[in-house]
Amino acid sequence: MTTDDEPELEQEAAELVRPYVITNGRDLLDDQQFSLITLVTVHPEPPRTKPLDPERLGVLDLCSGGFLSIAEIAGHTRLPVGVVKILVSDLVHEGHLCSRAPVPSAQLVDRQILEEVLNGLQARFG
Amino acid sequence: MKIAELRKEKVELKQHYANLEDHYAEAVEEAKDRAEEATKTTLKAAMRTLQGLASEQQLAISKLQETYGEHKILQDLLDIDHMNSQFARRAQSIAVLCDGWLGRRRQDASLYDVVRSAKGRIRHFTRVEIRSQSHFGIVSRAVEPVALVLAELLDNATSYSAPETVIEINIRPVPKGVCIVVDDAGVGMNEEEKARAARLLSSENSASVSSLGNPPQFGFTVIGVLAARYGFSVSVDSTSPYGGVRAVVLLPDDLLTSLHEPEESPAVAASTPLPPENPPGQTADVASRGYRGPVPSAPAAPPAPAAAPAEPETTAGGLPKRRRRGAISIVPAEAENDRTPARDSAKAASVMGAFQRGTQSGRRSTNASSEGHEVQ
Repeated sequence: MTTDDEPELEQEAAELVRPYVITNGRDLLDDQQFSLITLVTVHPEPPRTKPLDPERLGVLDLCSGGFLSIAEIAGHTRLPVGVVKILVSDLVHEGHLCSRAPVPSAQLVDRQILEEVLNGLQARFG
Repeated sequence: MKIAELRKEKVELKQHYANLEDHYAEAVEEAKDRAEEATKTTLKAAMRTLQGLASEQQLAISKLQETYGEHKILQDLLDIDHMNSQFARRAQSIAVLCDGWLGRRRQDASLYDVVRSAKGRIRHFTRVEIRSQSHFGIVSRAVEPVALVLAELLDNATSYSAPETVIEINIRPVPKGVCIVVDDAGVGMNEEEKARAARLLSSENSASVSSLGNPPQFGFTVIGVLAARYGFSVSVDSTSPYGGVRAVVLLPDDLLTSLHEPEESPAVAASTPLPPENPPGQTADVASRGYRGPVPSAPAAPPAPAAAPAEPETTAGGLPKRRRRGAISIVPAEAENDRTPARDSAKAASVMGAFQRGTQSGRRSTNASSEGHEVQ
């Protein structure tokens, strides 16, 4: 039987491999471990493991040029952020990636201390 | 004399009666066929609607998953996605029995992705372990049929084995093509069941909606119809190393294609303008991990012959097609940082340029019509 008359999908089908298959049905991670701006890059000495999934290889490929944030990885791979976190977490645990916590924003100094310093300086030099 | 006449009459009557019986049987057969046809036509139309709705819903779920990727609700969206896939598979199976179509994919897919897609279409998919990857691809027209056949085999395998056991999939190249081997650790099948399966899987059998039994068992029938229609073979007559059923799908060469590298478009080369940022050691690391494509730091690599500029960059529905992109990293690698703590101005300019191109490329990707056509 010929199949040439088979109609194409009327609209573009969604991705063949669904995100829940990529994570193998695992629960999402706690938000404590990775945030949107956690930076990761490839480990200089990658471990020898069994062949990785195309998605995991894709993440490694993206990170090979330097540090990349979770948000950027999600943007490039077009995978949901929660799914990217699972992939990155796996790769970090296996030693393929290393992560770096985001640089903490400068702490606001207590106003009272600043005033005391100002007063001290004025008392001494003013 | 009279007896002879009576005998003759009796023979004639018998003949007449036999004719009547034949006509009757024919009429019944015809009515059955007509009823079967009518049932198929109705079901086929109904399933077409359901298949369309399921794929529409899948697209909607995909969008939601991207939008709420950070939110806790993602967990539910992933579960709904899974349910939707199972629902779509049921509709597809019934459509196959009614001589309907599955819907044809536009692109070839890797065998590994097709196997994973099949895995995602059954309820207990986490019990399925894919033990080997492969470099083979499946031609576009066979993607859905093969995925559906595998999903039906996996459904059987998970249904007839203990919940804690694993279903193993291995992909093996053979002289005639590629075999996908599905092994379960279930109870296996007796001779009678094997004979029934073989009958349903053989191409001579034509599907009949009214003889599926109650509760209906359509797995093997669906598999048989698809295997005959697309020219591959499925057998379930051997025993797995774990004592369960070993199912083997043999895909002939004409359904296979060699897997070429993902298309690298000019847009990718343009968005990775910083080769010196990449210490040579790191690219080698990636290559040693099995990544076969050109690393982003080498835009001068010969363009993949697979790149098909004639292909539409957007879908009919106006959605941008997913493409692999190179990294646009503005944070240099740690090692690089140690060596050159202070950037010279040219480098700073180039970094800022990369950043700008990155954000432009990001903005453009939301504008479907222009994606991929950028020339720098």
